[in-house]
This record gives sequence, C-alpha cells and structure tokens, in this order.
Amino acid sequence: MEELILQLKQEIINVLNLEDVAPGDIADDAPLFGEGLGLDSIDALELIVLMEKLYGIKLKDPAQGREIFKSIRVMATYIHANRTK
Amino acid sequence: MIAIAGDNIISSLGFTTDENYRAVESGQSGVRLCSPFVGLPEPLMASMIDRERLSDSFADLSPRADGYTMLEKAAILSVGNAAAQAQVDLSGADVLFILSSTKGNVHLLDENEKGFSRDHIYLWHTARLIAEFFGNANEPLVVSNACISGACAQIAAMRELETGAYSYAVVVGVEMLSKFIVSGFQSLKALSPEMCRPFDVDRAGLNLGEAAAAIIYRRTDGKEEAGEALLLHGAIRNDANHISGPSRTGEGCLRALQILLQEVAPGDLAFINAHGTATAYNDSMEAVALASAGLSAVSVNSLKGYFGHTLGAAGVLESIISAHALANEAVLPTHGFKCGEKERPLNVVDKITHTEKTFFIKMLSGFGGCNAALLFKKNTKRTPPCHTQ
Amino acid sequence: MPYAVKKYSHVTDKQASVNGKPFPVAAAESGQFLTALYRSLKVDYPKFFKMDALSKLGFLASELILMDEQPRFTPREDVAIICFNRSSSLDTDVAYQATIQHEESYYPSPSAFVYTLPNIVTGEIAIRNKFFGETSFYVCRERDAQQMSQTVEQAFCDKHTRMALAAWVECFEGTCEAFMELVERR
Repeated sequence: MEELILQLKQEIINVLNLEDVAPGDIADDAPLFGEGLGLDSIDALELIVLMEKLYGIKLKDPAQGREIFKSIRVMATYIHANRTK
Repeated sequence: MIAIAGDNIISSLGFTTDENYRAVESGQSGVRLCSPFVGLPEPLMASMIDRERLSDSFADLSPRADGYTMLEKAAILSVGNAAAQAQVDLSGADVLFILSSTKGNVHLLDENEKGFSRDHIYLWHTARLIAEFFGNANEPLVVSNACISGACAQIAAMRELETGAYSYAVVVGVEMLSKFIVSGFQSLKALSPEMCRPFDVDRAGLNLGEAAAAIIYRRTDGKEEAGEALLLHGAIRNDANHISGPSRTGEGCLRALQILLQEVAPGDLAFINAHGTATAYNDSMEAVALASAGLSAVSVNSLKGYFGHTLGAAGVLESIISAHALANEAVLPTHGFKCGEKERPLNVVDKITHTEKTFFIKMLSGFGGCNAALLFKKNTKRTPPCHTQ
Repeated sequence: MPYAVKKYSHVTDKQASVNGKPFPVAAAESGQFLTALYRSLKVDYPKFFKMDALSKLGFLASELILMDEQPRFTPREDVAIICFNRSSSLDTDVAYQATIQHEESYYPSPSAFVYTLPNIVTGEIAIRNKFFGETSFYVCRERDAQQMSQTVEQAFCDKHTRMALAAWVECFEGTCEAFMELVERR
C-alpha cells in the first residue's frame, strides 16, 4: 500500500502538472480537492482517465470520483481493491 | 445600421432556412442516435447533416467537388443559398467574408485521413477557399472564440460595415462532428445519453450538432426595409473565472446583457434565445445572469433540442431561426423542456406563442469564460428613400 | 488612429523583452525557456504549469506588460483582450489527437481538450487579471499589422472599452512567438 501511495502521488504530480509540488508535500490523508493542491473539475476528470489508463478501473458515474478522490489514501485503497492491471 | 439581406441553414433538419424553420415550428428534432460514430466506444446522440444530400447539392452547385472537405462544401453551399436570396454578387470589392468555426477541418489530423493537402487544417485556408469560390479577393476574417464565435462574427460584421469599409458582410458559421470533437466532449462528461433538455430540472448534458449557417448582412445607410431583421447591438464579456466552468454568478453573461439593456427595455423583448446547452452548469449560470439582469419574466427559449449544440455555427444558426420566428410573430418552444428548477425560476417557453413585440436577444457562452449577447429588432416600417441624417 | 500604444512585449522560446529592452532570464535548460521566464518574473501562479504553450506565451507576454501596473488585480470591465495567430490551437490539437489516435491507447485527455480552442489564452489572461471586458481571437494567414490594427481599432466600437491587450500569439511546428501591446483609447 505504501508503495502504491507513493507511486500515485508521483503520477498525480506528473499528470496534473503540479510542477512545484513534491510527493512529500501531499499528506496521505489530506483532502485532494478544495484546498492545498488547488485542483479543479478538469483535474478530477483527468484523475478518472488516470485510473483507467494505469489501473484499468473504469468509473461508471463521474460523481463516484467525489468519494474516491477524497484523499490519496482513499484513492489508493480503492485502486488496490479494484485494479485490473 | 446593418440588416439581414439573406440567410441559409444547412442542418439535419434541412438545407434551406425555410425547411429548418418549418421543422422547428412543427416540433421536429434532428437529434438522433448516431452510433456507431467514427469508431468511438460510446453511443452518441447527435444532430448530423445528411452527407449524401450534401454531396449531391454541392455537385449541383459546382463541378469542382474534389477539392473541398464536407465542412467546406456545407459552408459554400450555405453561403451560395444565402447570396441567391439576397441577390448580392459576392465577388465585389465591398463584400467581406467572415468565418466562424471552432475546429474547422480538425479531423484531418487523424493519421487515417487522406486525400487533402495539409493546408486544409488551417481555418484561414478554409475561409479563403470559401471566399475564393465566390470570386472574392478580400482577405477574409476568421473568428475562433469557442462557442460564442457565431455571435462574435456578427459583431465583427457590424463593426466592419459600420466603420464604412464594406457594404456587405458574409457571416458563415460551420461545424462538422469528428472523432476529435466527440471524444473531447465525452472526456469532459458533457454529453447527454438522451435527447438534451435545456433548462429542465432533470437535464443531463448536451447533444452535439452539425450545421452550416450563413447570413448576408448589408449596411442600410438609413434605408431599412419593412420586416427586415436589424442587428442593433452586441457585446462580448468574460467571466474572468475559469477556462471551462461558467461563473456561478454569471459574471460575464450578466455584463453582456446589461450593455444591451441600455438600448432596450425588458418589456419590449419578444423573447430571449438563450445558449441553453442543457449542461447543469451552463443553464444554471444563464438563469442566474437573467435573474440578476431583471429578465426573469421575459420568455426564454433554447434551440439546442432541435439542432444540438452546433458550436461555431450555433450563434449564426440560432440568430437566423430567432429572426424568422420574430418575422412570423412567434415565440418558439424549448424542445426537451418539461419542468424548470424551483430555485432559479425562469419563464422558459414550452409551447409556441404569438408575439407582437419587435426585439429579441441572442445569448451565447463558451470555454475561455467568454459570453456574448446580441440585440435584434424587426423593422416595422420602411424608411423613406430620401432619408436625411 | 483612435488608440495609442502604451507598452509592448515580445516573447519567444529563446528571449523576452519589454518596450524593446531585453528582460533578463536566468539560464534555462534547453526547451525550458518559458518556465525560466516564469521563474524570473517571480510570479506565484501554479496554474501556469497547467497551461498549453499558447496560453503560457500569452500569459508571459501579458505579465511582462502588466507587472509594474498599479493597482493590479482590481476587477475591471474596460480592458479588452484581442489575440491573433496563424495556427489557431493546432499545437495542442496535435497533442490531443495523440491521446485518441490508437485504439489500444485510447485515453482522450480532458485537460488537453480544453486547450484545443485558441481563445483559451484570452481567458487565462482575463482570469489572472480579473478583466471582465471583451475577449476575442482571430485566425489570420499571416501577421498583417494593418489588418490587426484595424480589428483592434474596431474593438473600441464598444464604448465601454478603454484599453486593450492586443497580441499576435503563434505556437506551432517550431514557431513560438508572442508580440503584445497594451493600447489605450485616445
């Protein structure tokens, strides 16, 4: 799980172009949206693509993202349980 | 002042303005299930032009069909029909072409597309092909301002004509659907799997549409004809909020409306033809802006349920249909609308009604936070030919 | 001419200048000049890194012009943003096309798609500066100064417009260049 969390942070930084953010700056349990990283609705859609591309997880309803993208840990837990690749 | 001297629409609902208007009047929609669409994984509800009829109609107009893409053919055909109606020779030095499109021939970027030179991917090239088809040598103007392009092109026409350089402006809006455009809107989760429902409480997104629409504007020089549609004013304002999400407070939209309201009283408006894409955010934003502008009581409609969202063509197409509705003293209903939102009350038109008022407003909003509004008037009396200013 | 040029900037992928005077930029890694320019401007605006090259160019050109203006970031409706170029958003169109080209790697990117409209750059500048005025984008065969100045002049037909940021912003196939002017109604 710790490895997945670190990998996820690095991927999110790359995909969302968070140039001045290091994996260490993202706390495992901090909210991904609403504060801190300054992510917006397009970033949320891009995270949905990331889940499908890297882990083979296809969200049926984009609204599910709201729950899954609560924090890095919640996201990693979901990926761990549902990944197909 | 500038007036509509001729117009045309090519869409899923027909190849003349009249055909399109009559279809709308009788409640027809051109939106249907188009899957499988160019190899995309998801089904698509969209309004598409009949390719075969387009090719045949173009062949009737010109034997030189090979050099033109479907998009170019649709635009040329639309301009040709509008010019025939206006009885204007488009080759004149006093005629300016203005193209409105968001993506032009973007489908040619696909590796599997062959047969056209690379120049066709440039919007200015498409504009030149259209102008040159009609023997016009002036450098055309190309407006690419996302989904408000069609309004911007008309505002540009007004400015070009009123500052005196040209007597006629040919405004042509055109958009064809491709894997590029459809996949993009799918990735934004903006498309409805069903018929779109503008301003409805249960709306679930937009339907895309294809169209070419052309208006020939003439500078009236004080000689307006009775019944003619006049473009009186236009404004473009930005939300300064987000590149893809509309402002929650309708910032830019409200400001554009407020500028028009310096020229017209709300009580004189027959209707407002909103952008009404049927996405959750757009329609809420427009409702907020209309309420803030004191326009909640004015009849509001959206034409997206008939044509889908025709992107760069929308502003031109919807202005034409609205102007014809006004000429027919009609306020057109919003296809797909059943029940409005309680929190944001609006006077959404759900059945065709009669009006004797002579003004309408056309609203548009787009990515990049841009918003536009146009004010049209039906001229009720003929100005004497020897008008002195 | 109904307007006067107050200030101008020029940005390419190799150099930047304001009013014809080179703007010093700390040494950049190859291909990273725009990022180095952003750092040298000492601007704290992380959204910059999310922009496509066209928006970065326009954004930087506008920062070079506006950085010394006072007050900044007060909402205003009297500034228009009018941009022109040859290749629309083709640079990003090609990048987005790559995300949908092959069936086995078909992952359309929403963040790339939103930049496949040339006028996004005008929106980025409007958002940064709280400019609620007119924003427009025109596509032209070439950088024709006369045609551009005529269009900018006509933007002042909107009687509420007092100033405009007017720019040529081109980015495609090896060309990366922005010329921007801040013009004021006479």
